[in-house]
Amino acid sequence: MEAVGRLRVSGWQGIRNLDRTLPVWIGASLFLVFLMLLPLGWIFVASLQTEAGWSASGYAQVFTEKAYLKAIWNTLIISFWVGGIAVVIGSLLAWLVTRTDLPLKRTIRALVMASFVTPPFLGAFAWTLLAGPNAGLLNKIYRSLTGSEEALFNIFSMEGLIFVMALYSFPYVFSMIANVCELISSDLEDAANILGANKLRVALTVTLPLAAPALLGGFILAFLHSLSLFGAPAILGLPASLHTITTQIWALFQYPPRLDLAAAFSVPLLLATMLLIALQKKILGRRGYSTVGGKGGERRLLRLGIFRIPALLLVLGIIALSVFLPYWILLKAALAKAWAQPLTWDNFTLENFSFAFFQYGDTQDAILNTFKLGIATASAGTVIAALIAYITNRQLFWGARYLTFFALAPLVVPGIVLAVGLFLAYARPPIVLYGTIWILFVAYLTKEMPIGFSQAETTFKSIHPELEDASRILGANRLGALRDVTAPLARTGLIATWCFIFIGVIRELSASILLFTPKSKVVSVVIFDLKEEGQIGVIAVLGILLLLVSFMVILAVQRLVKREVLATRE
Amino acid sequence: MATVTLEGLTKRFAEAAAVHDLHLEIGDGEFVSLLGPSGCGKTTTLRLIAGFLQPEEGEIRVNQQVVSSRSVLVPPERRNMSMIFQSYAVWPHMTVFQNVAYGLKFKKLPGDDPGTRVEKLLRLVHLDALKDRYPAELSGGQQQRVALARALVVQPQILLLDEPLSNLDANLREEMRFEIRRLHEEFRITTIYVTHDQAEAMVTSDRIAVMHLGKVIQVGTPQEIFERPKTTFVAEFIGRTNILSGKWREGGKVDLGEGILVQVSARERYAQGESVSFCLRPHNVALSGSEAEAEQRRRSGYNLFPGVIQRRIYFGDAFDYMVELPAHRMALRVVAPPSQRYETGQKVFALAHPDHCVIVGES
Repeated sequence: MEAVGRLRVSGWQGIRNLDRTLPVWIGASLFLVFLMLLPLGWIFVASLQTEAGWSASGYAQVFTEKAYLKAIWNTLIISFWVGGIAVVIGSLLAWLVTRTDLPLKRTIRALVMASFVTPPFLGAFAWTLLAGPNAGLLNKIYRSLTGSEEALFNIFSMEGLIFVMALYSFPYVFSMIANVCELISSDLEDAANILGANKLRVALTVTLPLAAPALLGGFILAFLHSLSLFGAPAILGLPASLHTITTQIWALFQYPPRLDLAAAFSVPLLLATMLLIALQKKILGRRGYSTVGGKGGERRLLRLGIFRIPALLLVLGIIALSVFLPYWILLKAALAKAWAQPLTWDNFTLENFSFAFFQYGDTQDAILNTFKLGIATASAGTVIAALIAYITNRQLFWGARYLTFFALAPLVVPGIVLAVGLFLAYARPPIVLYGTIWILFVAYLTKEMPIGFSQAETTFKSIHPELEDASRILGANRLGALRDVTAPLARTGLIATWCFIFIGVIRELSASILLFTPKSKVVSVVIFDLKEEGQIGVIAVLGILLLLVSFMVILAVQRLVKREVLATRE
Repeated sequence: MATVTLEGLTKRFAEAAAVHDLHLEIGDGEFVSLLGPSGCGKTTTLRLIAGFLQPEEGEIRVNQQVVSSRSVLVPPERRNMSMIFQSYAVWPHMTVFQNVAYGLKFKKLPGDDPGTRVEKLLRLVHLDALKDRYPAELSGGQQQRVALARALVVQPQILLLDEPLSNLDANLREEMRFEIRRLHEEFRITTIYVTHDQAEAMVTSDRIAVMHLGKVIQVGTPQEIFERPKTTFVAEFIGRTNILSGKWREGGKVDLGEGILVQVSARERYAQGESVSFCLRPHNVALSGSEAEAEQRRRSGYNLFPGVIQRRIYFGDAFDYMVELPAHRMALRVVAPPSQRYETGQKVFALAHPDHCVIVGES
């Protein structure tokens, strides 16, 4: 029943009857395996290679030199705090939005989505304008209000870094917990109520334990996210001489490059992410979590009563930190001659826009490159993700399900580690891509494969294999069935896949930062570079451009999917 | 016009029910059901016939031409078959008309042009008024009719149906059974019908093949299967039944112990004293409260089981009794008309004709 039309080949007759589509499936599979194995393999090889030959001296140096140990230690502390804060904020918001009568819920969801879409490096940049010790706007306001000489906040510190990273990590926890909260039916809670437990006890003894695996899973997710971030630590940590693993790897790539050390540094990070993902899988895969899925059960909303407005204010306050304040300062910086001055008519200018779009060659090229890469990667990525997802979903040949592992492998690879691997793999013959825009294409294709694959997989899962079988038995060959049935039905899902990959690509920084060359700059890299030059207005313009394009794409997907849902509703 | 022969068909799987050394002959224009519990391999068999799966051993022949074997696999699209799926598999992005017309894209048929042909079929399944609707706007039963029309419009040699009614509600299911049989009588297409519902198989089929654990256990007309089950599995799967066990005695008798000797009907002879079982349908047992009447029936050849009413259930059109036989060794289920009313604890005589006491083998 499940093994739908496997292309089983046996003997000469089998080859004669061989499906003409088989080369496509095999080709896509081999490409995927090659794409994933090459960079990861090179990291392990390079970490054990020195000029003198094979040795583990790289590892020895990484784990003995004080500065390197400090970077590892910093990373752990930061990620731990980010994980903790993100869980508290994310689960609180998720619970309020899904299980209470909090007002403006749809708006709040949209705003959390906005924090999710905001690239953390952009958020970090905005916060340097808000809470830099000298010129930071909040500090200026504080000084003018109190007459104090001191700064209220210094964002260039470990606390500042944790704060900003948590702001852009909590949406991960939010979406995870919100899903679980929507699945816990009120029946389970009612059962406890009937047995005599009051609201608080129900929350503590039923709801919380049911959500506990998701909370732990959310913590790990936020922890992982902050482990792999490069932009925020580089922007906020480096001025305070605070290194993390990712910034350290980046530093090792600067002149004179120490590839062996960078690789040796990457391996522990890689192993740590693998371990954490395995742990998370295990926690979420346990029996207790799956029993939450009582889909029929209705959910009633808890009445907040007099806490309704204070709760809303708290939520809006959190959103203000991640969205309102950063967006406002970016907009102000983009439109002002002097960003730190009030935005009066005298201070207003469109110069930053014209400069970024028409005068400054670097930004023009970068914008073009970014969108070219976005479109190219999204198109190629969608095709490959769709082919692989189709193979695994329909089990087209033996071993097809192992492809899932390869398609999802980049999940455990932080962007900067991937970049190290790609550099090692493609900066030397036989395939020399370094120095061209193609290495970025390959990097993005690899990095976005998990999201593209999952999206495509969901799409094919929703298309019953019998729909294709019906077409074949009536006379269509496999290709005909794909053309007449599968392709039209998968269209919306695959357009969504394209959009997700596109958004992922245009905001990518941590792999790009190691792989760009002066000829192949992208917007995120230019933002990072311009920061050194203090071109704040131009950065703001580029940031706003990224955000606008992302939001437009998301809105387009939402409208498309909604139309589809309406059209096929029973 | 087509015959189908399955010979020694074997398919092993990790993920679906397996088929072992399966044999079945299906005549031209015949309607055969593959009947069995879930996991017995009936759907696998159907998908093997359709060409979606390749057998590991054995072969499938259509009109004596091999279409599936270890080394041959004619793809589904070149088998001139149609199939109706459990999920209906009606394409949601095409209208009713487009769904039905699809197969004609690939197949040139003499006579009417495709449009007329589709219209005809839609009228036949009473969907002509809905031809421009999308499947999402149809009920389950209407979608099922679309699937039927789509399968029939191409005039297939062989029609395959995979539990086509299992997703419909009870009333509609009953109606569609007759509909399917009616269409078969109209077109006389060789049909293989997979189901786990014995009533469905009874109503629709010329012959039923009962499957269990990847094998065909018994093939026969619905009446043969019901009245002469070969094994306890078949007897119990098709309708309610009593299975009684005892020792074989000379002269076609079974000794149940406690002095009860039952005259049975058997296809073969057994050794004196060998353990055997026979089945006896609850509605083939008559009850009598009077010893004289019972004795008279016994003399005319009936088997007599004296017992006590243990429980009674009222079904409106019948009473369902459980009659306890001597020494509490066994109980007999009896279905009697509502006019025959006995009280719990009452002594009764159960009577059964030897023709209805059918020896069954172990499955």
